[in-house]
Amino acid sequence: MKKIFLQLCLLFAAVSCVSLDIPPKDIITDDQLLTNEAGMKIYMARLYSRMPFEDFKYIAANGFSGQSWTSGLGYEGTGESVYRDSWSSSFTGETTGLGGNAADPWWGSAFSLIREANHLIETLPEYKDNFTDLIYNDFIGQGYFVRAYSYTQMARRFGGVPIVKKEFKYPFEDDIEVARSSEKDTWDAILEDYDTAIEHLGASSTFANTANKYVALAFKAEAMLYAGCVAKYNENVTGRLTGLGEKTGVRVIGFAADEWQACSNKYFAEAYKAAKEVIESGQYSLYMKSWKEGDKEAQYKNMNDMWRDLTSPENMLVQHYEYPNLTHGLDAYNSPWIYRSPLSAGSCPTEDFLELFDGFERDADGSIKTTDGGKVNGVPQGHYILYDKPMDFFANVEPRLRAYVIFPGDVFKTDEIEIRMGIYRGSEPISPVRDYYDYSHRGTFYNHQSNYSSEIGNYTESNKDELTLYMDTNEHTVKVEYTDAKTGEKVSSWASGANGPFLHNAEATMTGLYLRKYLDPDRTKDDIGEGKSDQPFILMRYADVLLAAAEAAVELSIAGQPSPCNDDMLQVATEAIQAIQTRAGANVITEKLAGTEASRNLVRKERRKELAFEHKSKWDIRRWRVIDEDNRGYFWGEYKDPSTYGDGSHFAFRGIYPFYSIESGKWFFDISFENRKTYGYSAVDYYFAVPGGEVVKSKYIDQQPNR
Amino acid sequence: MKSYRILAYALFLALTTSCSLFEIDNFEEPKETIKGAVVDVKTGEPVLTEHNGNGIRVRLTELSYGENVEHNPDFYCREDGTYQNTKIFEGNYNVRIDGPFIPLYREDQDGNLIEDCTVTTDIKGVCTVNFEVQPFLKVEFVGEPSVSDGQIKTRIMVTRATTVEEFKEKVEPMGGYQDYFTNVTDVRLFVSYSSTVNSVNKYEPWCSYIEYKGNSFDSQFGKAISLSSSGTLLSGSKVFVRAAARINYDTPVGSGTRRYNFSEVKEVYVP
Repeated sequence: MKKIFLQLCLLFAAVSCVSLDIPPKDIITDDQLLTNEAGMKIYMARLYSRMPFEDFKYIAANGFSGQSWTSGLGYEGTGESVYRDSWSSSFTGETTGLGGNAADPWWGSAFSLIREANHLIETLPEYKDNFTDLIYNDFIGQGYFVRAYSYTQMARRFGGVPIVKKEFKYPFEDDIEVARSSEKDTWDAILEDYDTAIEHLGASSTFANTANKYVALAFKAEAMLYAGCVAKYNENVTGRLTGLGEKTGVRVIGFAADEWQACSNKYFAEAYKAAKEVIESGQYSLYMKSWKEGDKEAQYKNMNDMWRDLTSPENMLVQHYEYPNLTHGLDAYNSPWIYRSPLSAGSCPTEDFLELFDGFERDADGSIKTTDGGKVNGVPQGHYILYDKPMDFFANVEPRLRAYVIFPGDVFKTDEIEIRMGIYRGSEPISPVRDYYDYSHRGTFYNHQSNYSSEIGNYTESNKDELTLYMDTNEHTVKVEYTDAKTGEKVSSWASGANGPFLHNAEATMTGLYLRKYLDPDRTKDDIGEGKSDQPFILMRYADVLLAAAEAAVELSIAGQPSPCNDDMLQVATEAIQAIQTRAGANVITEKLAGTEASRNLVRKERRKELAFEHKSKWDIRRWRVIDEDNRGYFWGEYKDPSTYGDGSHFAFRGIYPFYSIESGKWFFDISFENRKTYGYSAVDYYFAVPGGEVVKSKYIDQQPNR
Repeated sequence: MKSYRILAYALFLALTTSCSLFEIDNFEEPKETIKGAVVDVKTGEPVLTEHNGNGIRVRLTELSYGENVEHNPDFYCREDGTYQNTKIFEGNYNVRIDGPFIPLYREDQDGNLIEDCTVTTDIKGVCTVNFEVQPFLKVEFVGEPSVSDGQIKTRIMVTRATTVEEFKEKVEPMGGYQDYFTNVTDVRLFVSYSSTVNSVNKYEPWCSYIEYKGNSFDSQFGKAISLSSSGTLLSGSKVFVRAAARINYDTPVGSGTRRYNFSEVKEVYVP
């Protein structure tokens, strides 16, 4: 026994002098990856899969969690839609940590990605001979593009951030900590990276679904528009939004009083130049495949189809999905109630959003008309206008809105989407059913109106004769029997529509509307489920570029700047807006835009409409600095008195609720505040707090000075 | 076989004794107290505020960690302008408050310190730190609120607790000074069933306010302003009212939050 043991010892001792310093087999090296196109495809796939793209797997309150659970579109306090749960809140940070997931506010993982981009930029030149110049340049350009976009996403969140433009190599020789740069230097670094990327990238990219020159230009325009607005509109924030870091004394947020104007002009000029280059290239155009002049139905169909048509000439950069390899759950969380599996109504569009669109009858104050007596201080007067069917109310609405939102009674998939708040049994004409319509009474919903007794909706045998307004508390709880005024037949119907709204269940629509944009109309109910959807998300499309050109042009004109391209930039802006309005079937502007606030607001409003439900507006209202109490008047692009939808510290959005009246068998609509959700925002939220751990562990990293 | 067993025992023993098994691994709970009051330096009257994120913020920063330290979680003064925290670890702290008064810590646009009136102190046992500040405004009720037809009628008087000249002298060196900073922008009446009525804790349908553009409030200083509640209060109920006003200046600078100076709370019975 002892002998064997000794022999074993000897054996081990004898072999131990072989060098173990060999490359591990399970680690892929630069020689394998960077020497050939197949390896580079892997490198690119990894870079792009880690990019901070905001798509179906992104929830604003939760940051880049990489999963789509309860994700929706537009519910992060933009007013486009509301959602019942707590993460439908203003975009004040990305650290809610939904479902116990570690939240990533795009700081730590940003630097991992930037490191990989830096590695590519630094190391690929050693392997230059393996590729043609064209392909080599494309890969280098990709590295700069990835870095530029990563930094854009950081700067939009935090202002100035540490700029790392080289790869720190193990083992680290000296102090590798980098302090935050000023916000100005950060945006300048981003500008430089985009320009280097644009220089290297070709008109088309080596690998599908990666950036090309024009994609980089489009993202550059987006970033520079953000920077230009921040420089300019920080001045509007009470107390001027800027400050110096405590540890470094660097202006980590905002711009100095003597530099903001020049910076803002420079960034707007860069935005305009970039957007103009994309327009002039002629590589992209608005999606007009089935668009027909004067045909609202064709225009609606055109805008409804474009989200899933991968051959669309408007698509610039697209996030692809493919069942079952890479999927999301948009349809599982956002479909109407009748398709519920497992959830529904994740994004309920608001009436305030509808109000941006053309084709509604209006009262004198500009709001959507529901009664024949106009409005006094926002309170509808006279009697409700009655419609034969709910869709009559929307008969003349601009086709773009119909492609974005499911109206009550409209068709989705193969079904008519029945949406009804309740049934009115009483005499006509009908006066407004609510006691109050102002923000402060938003919590008092239809079941607590004094005109109808407090028992409304709580149907019992004994009180059924007293009720004049029947509503379901939940699906199928209140049955109403009546004679159909048109056919004379006896009808037995549930009080609320098949898709709600229900008084005590927010899992059907909360606003009387459902999201249509991006939902898959061909997917059957059985095929809806978590991780079953695979429609693509368009990260950048040509319409965005047109709107960026228009906004930058108007901002430059307001500042009295000449066009950086020696062209008539206001003409370019006007034509851009006209093209988008024409495609949308909206009223098309006839007057040329000017360097005025009115033109600026017009462009902003068009942007709010066109790019809704694309994770874009939350950045727009943020860069315009129009969410905090003192500047909220321009929240919707055009001016809207904030006291009509908030009390200063908080604000809320409205729904549009259809009712059926038994006497004539007609429909009427009541517009009032959705009663569950309010949103708040303070000026400090224009810059997110730097993750506390990063501040505490570092000698250099500054927290935001105004926190 | 036996040797394995012994080996197993030995191993078990070695593992179990390796981490101070019989010591209670616990840290002493924080039990020092800091408390104090915020008063008007001229009159000695308390600076009334609200107990939420819009009120007077108390920020403690423990300095023994060196310069690179995150401040403690913020807390806020009570309505009467006093504050207290009984769960503080012993240590050397900087105590800073921010609210509707001239900032105690002021630096210019380039980050150079102008004046630092914050307090640095050892906290052990019960430590009292009072602050004498220059509040922007003084808000008070003139007479008692009256009630008729379910509506509360109040008369509110707003005066400057700090003159424009004093404000300018202290704030102008911080840079970016604007004359509109000292304009009163709104006067508000908050109504609630709760005695802790304030700008957040209120019943909105009953509250009311008047907004003032530019310096249009200047003629109203020292005069009684009539402000009535909105809506109709329920007969037989007991409610609490409070008036507030604010100027066009945010504290701390750059936060964008304009904090109110408050009146005292009045209890009102609705007959």
